[in-house]
Amino acid sequence: MTPNIAVVHVQTPHWRMIPLWIPLFLLWIPAILLSPIILLVIIGLAIAGRINPWRAIATLWNLICSLPGTNVRVVADGTKVTVRIL
Amino acid sequence: MNENRRQILEMLAAGKITASEADQLLSALEPDTTTHAGTFTGSFAGSNSSEGPTVKTRAKYLRVLVEADESMTGMKGPTTVNVRVPMQLLRAGVRLASLIPAQAHDQLDEALSRHGVPITLSQIKPENLEELIDHLEDLSVDVDGKEGNNTKVRVFCE
Repeated sequence: MTPNIAVVHVQTPHWRMIPLWIPLFLLWIPAILLSPIILLVIIGLAIAGRINPWRAIATLWNLICSLPGTNVRVVADGTKVTVRIL
Repeated sequence: MNENRRQILEMLAAGKITASEADQLLSALEPDTTTHAGTFTGSFAGSNSSEGPTVKTRAKYLRVLVEADESMTGMKGPTTVNVRVPMQLLRAGVRLASLIPAQAHDQLDEALSRHGVPITLSQIKPENLEELIDHLEDLSVDVDGKEGNNTKVRVFCE
């Protein structure tokens, strides 16, 4: 499943941000529109690197689809940063 | 060797399925007591054990927890890092290694060995890495800092 939403929350000792819900699913629109160019770039890079372009595309797709469920939370120097990919 | 097992092994040899998927398929072929209602209920009817059959669920995430206090980081307040990564992301990540061109393997091996990591990339197969990730489910690392050094690192799968 492709990532749909990313939630980013930053909190410092002096400032607190409202959790930002980023609709990643909206990226599909420019991705579809630019897909011919993106595909050409990936295929070109794969051929230049002498690797199978379809395998490269499949691997990148697997990587993107496995992002949902990733949580990163860092607290340092009084600052909290939370990133969740849903 | 029955026909189903042969087909699974042929698919594995042809690279159509990964080693972990073949293992799952072969396990599904094995006779399972839960599907034989008669013998299963018979074996538990007179059982005095309060524990039911345990089913091991596959870990879905890798968690890394790091806690360090001010004396370690020099920052104000404790520093904590809490990362949860889906196991599927790890599997997809190790497949990236298979994209490295063969010509680059020698240079990478040399660079890794110079930095004290004696790994030969060409000998690492995706199936080996899949097996490694499968065994990560049993991994649990707990590191406590020395006296006066309040640092904790925990790595485990859940």
